[in-house]
Amino acid sequence: MKLKQSFIVAIVLALLSIVAWEFYWRSQGHLPNIDDNKNLWANQRAKLKDIKENTVVFIGSSRILYDIQLDIWKKETQTDPVMIAAQGASPIPIFKDIVENTDFKGTLIAGITPPLLFSTTYPEAEFMSRPQFLVDYYKNRTYAQIINHKLSIPLQKNLAFIRDGDEAWDSDVDLKTLLKQIHFGERGEPVFPPFYNFEDITLDRHMKMPERMVTDTAYASTVKKVWKAILGGDMPPPDKESTINAFVELSKKFINKGGNLILVRCPSSGLFKDIESKAFSREENWDVLVEKSGAKAYNYQDYEQFQNLFLPEWSHLATKDAQFFTRELIKIMQSEGALTNSKTN
Amino acid sequence: MLLLASYIFYGLWNPPLVLLLWISTMVDWTAGKKLSVEQNERKRKMWLILSMCVNLGFLAFFKYRDFLLDNFTTVVNTYGYGYKSQPMDIILPMGISFYTFQTMSYTIDMYKRKIEPAKTFLDFALYVTFFPQLVAGPIVRAQDLITQFYEEKKATANQFIWGVFLLTIGLFQKVVMADTFLSGTADKVFGSDKLLHGVDAWVGTLAFSGQIFFDFAGYSTCAIGIALMLGIILPDNFKYPYASLGFSDLWKRWHITLSSWLRDYLYIPLGGNRHGILRLYVALMVTMLIGGLWHGAAWTFIVWGGLHGTYLILERLQRQYLPFKITAWNGMFLAFITFSCVNITWVFFRARKFETAWNMIKSMFYMQTEGEKILDTFTIIKVSAVVAILFLCHWFMRNTSLKEVSLKISPWTLGIVWAIMLFLVIISQGSGEQFIYFQF
Repeated sequence: MKLKQSFIVAIVLALLSIVAWEFYWRSQGHLPNIDDNKNLWANQRAKLKDIKENTVVFIGSSRILYDIQLDIWKKETQTDPVMIAAQGASPIPIFKDIVENTDFKGTLIAGITPPLLFSTTYPEAEFMSRPQFLVDYYKNRTYAQIINHKLSIPLQKNLAFIRDGDEAWDSDVDLKTLLKQIHFGERGEPVFPPFYNFEDITLDRHMKMPERMVTDTAYASTVKKVWKAILGGDMPPPDKESTINAFVELSKKFINKGGNLILVRCPSSGLFKDIESKAFSREENWDVLVEKSGAKAYNYQDYEQFQNLFLPEWSHLATKDAQFFTRELIKIMQSEGALTNSKTN
Repeated sequence: MLLLASYIFYGLWNPPLVLLLWISTMVDWTAGKKLSVEQNERKRKMWLILSMCVNLGFLAFFKYRDFLLDNFTTVVNTYGYGYKSQPMDIILPMGISFYTFQTMSYTIDMYKRKIEPAKTFLDFALYVTFFPQLVAGPIVRAQDLITQFYEEKKATANQFIWGVFLLTIGLFQKVVMADTFLSGTADKVFGSDKLLHGVDAWVGTLAFSGQIFFDFAGYSTCAIGIALMLGIILPDNFKYPYASLGFSDLWKRWHITLSSWLRDYLYIPLGGNRHGILRLYVALMVTMLIGGLWHGAAWTFIVWGGLHGTYLILERLQRQYLPFKITAWNGMFLAFITFSCVNITWVFFRARKFETAWNMIKSMFYMQTEGEKILDTFTIIKVSAVVAILFLCHWFMRNTSLKEVSLKISPWTLGIVWAIMLFLVIISQGSGEQFIYFQF
C-alpha cells in the first residue's frame, strides 16, 4: 500500500474540488459572510456582565436588527449599543433574561413585531423557544464552543460556501440544504420554497440588507415567496391577553429597577402590513401594550417620513432606508428626551 | 503531555467536572495499588467494593438519580401518598458511562489478579483520561492501553497517514452520512406527533438505524484514527454489524468493547452458560437489560435491552431445536432478518416516550389504516438507497477489513475515494456539535 501517494492524491483532488466549489458559488452571486448565529448573540449578551454607563440594549426580532443601523446609532447618540434582538423571535424570553439575570437598568429598546409578540407565550412555540434557546446557550456554552466559533470566523469571512448558522434561513449552500431542495412527486407535506440567505452582519451584530436584495428583484422575490408560504399556513389565533400581560409584567419590573424602556414598531409593507393590520390591529394590541407597560413608544405609522420606506421583502428595510430610519428615529427620541444616557454631538 | 492535553480537552467542555475524573482516577489507582499487594481476601474485597461504590455511585447520582426518583415517586403515589419529587437538574458529565466502566475494568482485573498494576500514577491517569476515547469509547482494557504508555510513542509515517485516513472516514460517517443524509428524516419521523403511514415509519426507523451506526462508528473511527496518529493503537469497536448472522454475532460486531465488557464483568459472573439453561437465559436477559440501562436512564432503553435479551434467548432456542447450516444463499437472508429485527429495537431506543414507540410499531406493521404521509418521495429514495448501500457494504465487508481492502486497490483509487470523502465532509459543514453517544 502506497499510503503517501494516496494521501497526496487525496489532498490535491480535495483542494482542487473545494476551489472549484468556492468559485462556483461566487459565480452564483454568493459572497463570504458571517452568519448570525447563537455564538454571535451570546457574545453580545456577555457584554451585559460588564454594563457601561452609556450602554443601550436592543431586543426584539429581525426588524429592529435590520432597521437600526448600529454605526449610525453609536455616532449620533454616543452610546454603546448592544444588539441582542433575535430573528423570528418574541422579545419576551430575552426581556425576562435581562430583568431576572442582569443588573442592567439603562435604556432598553424593544422592537415590537406584532405577529411575533402577540401570538403566544407557549414555551414550545417557535417564537418563544428560539430566543429561549439563545438565552440557555449563553448560560451553558462551553469553552470548546467559544473557541470553535472564534476559529470559524476567518473561514466565514473568506469563503463563500461556508455557513455557520443555526436556522433554515442561514443555510443555502451546504449539502444538507441542497439535498432538501430536491423534490419530485406529490407525496409528503407541502414543499416549502428555498429560503435564501439575505444577511450581511458584523461580529457585533450590525445587520445590513445585502445590496443584492435591492438590485436583484428576482432574488428578493424568493424571500417574499417564503413569507407567503409562512403567512399562508395554519396559525393558531393570537393570544393577545397573555402576551401583553407577560410583557407588561416584565416592563414594570424593569422600570421599577430604574430602567428606561422604549418600544419601537418598525415598518412593514406588502403582505406583512396587510396581515398585521387585520390580525393584529393597532388599537387592540400596540396601543394596549403601550398604555399598560408605561413605556415610551414610537410607531412608524405616526411619522410622515417613515411612510414610503423601501422594504425589498416587505419586512426589513433596505440599508439606505434603515440608515435614514435610524437617524430620524434618534432625532425624534432625542427631541422628546427619551434617550436618557445619550449625548449629542 | 498527553495527560495534560486530555485534561484540557475535557475541561474545554466543563472545567469543574474534571474533578470527577480526578476522583475516579485517585480511587481506582489507590484500589489497584492496594489490590496488588494485599493478601487478605476480605480486605481485597473491601477495596473492590470501595471502587465499585464510587464509580457506580457517580453513575447513580449523575445519570440515574432523576430516573430513580421519578419511579420512586410513581410507586409511592400509587399508594396515595401524594409525594412530589424535586428534580435536581444536574448536568450529565460527558462520557461518564465510558470512563467509569473503563476504570472499573482495571480494578476488577486487579482483583482477579489478571493484570499487573500500572507502573506509575501518570500512566494510570492517562489510561482513564486519554482524550481520543475519553467521551465515547472504545472502552479499552488496561492491559491493552496502559502498557502502550510505558515507552514514548511516535507514529510511523504510515501509521500517521492511516490515522488521518481513519479520521477522514470517521468524519465522513458522522458529518455526511449521519448528519447530512439521515438525521433530518429520523428527527422528523420520531418528532412527529401524528400517526404515520407504514412507509414513513419504516423509512424513519431505517434512517435512525443508519444514523446511529454512522454517528457512533464515526466517533470510534475518529478516536482510533487520532490515537494512531499519536502512535497508540486502540481496538476496533465495530465490525460491519448490520451484516450479522444472528444476535450473538451482532454483539460481537456492534459496540464490541461494551459488549465484551458486559460479557466479562456481568454475564460470566452471573453464571454465563455454566449453570444450566435457565440460569443462562437469566444471565443473558439481566446482562442485556443492564446494557439497555447503561445507554440511558429511561424505560425505553430497558425495553430495548429486553428485546435484545429476548432475541438472544430465541436464537439459543432455535439453535437447540431448529438447527440449520448457514450457507452463502441463506446467509444474506439471515443477515437481512437480523437487521430487520434490530430495526424494531431501534424504535424503542430512539423514541422518547412509549406512546411514540408504540405508534411507530403499529405503523410499521400496518396497524394504522390512515397514517399520515410526512416524507416526500426523494427523502424515501435517499434514505432507502443509503441504508441499502450500508447493508450491502456490511455484507461484502463482513469477513474482511478496511486495511485488507485498501491493500488490494491502487493508490490512485484510494486517493480518489479519500478526496471525495474529504470534499463531501467540507461541503456538508456539519453543524452537529455532538455525537449521539456523548449523552450516554
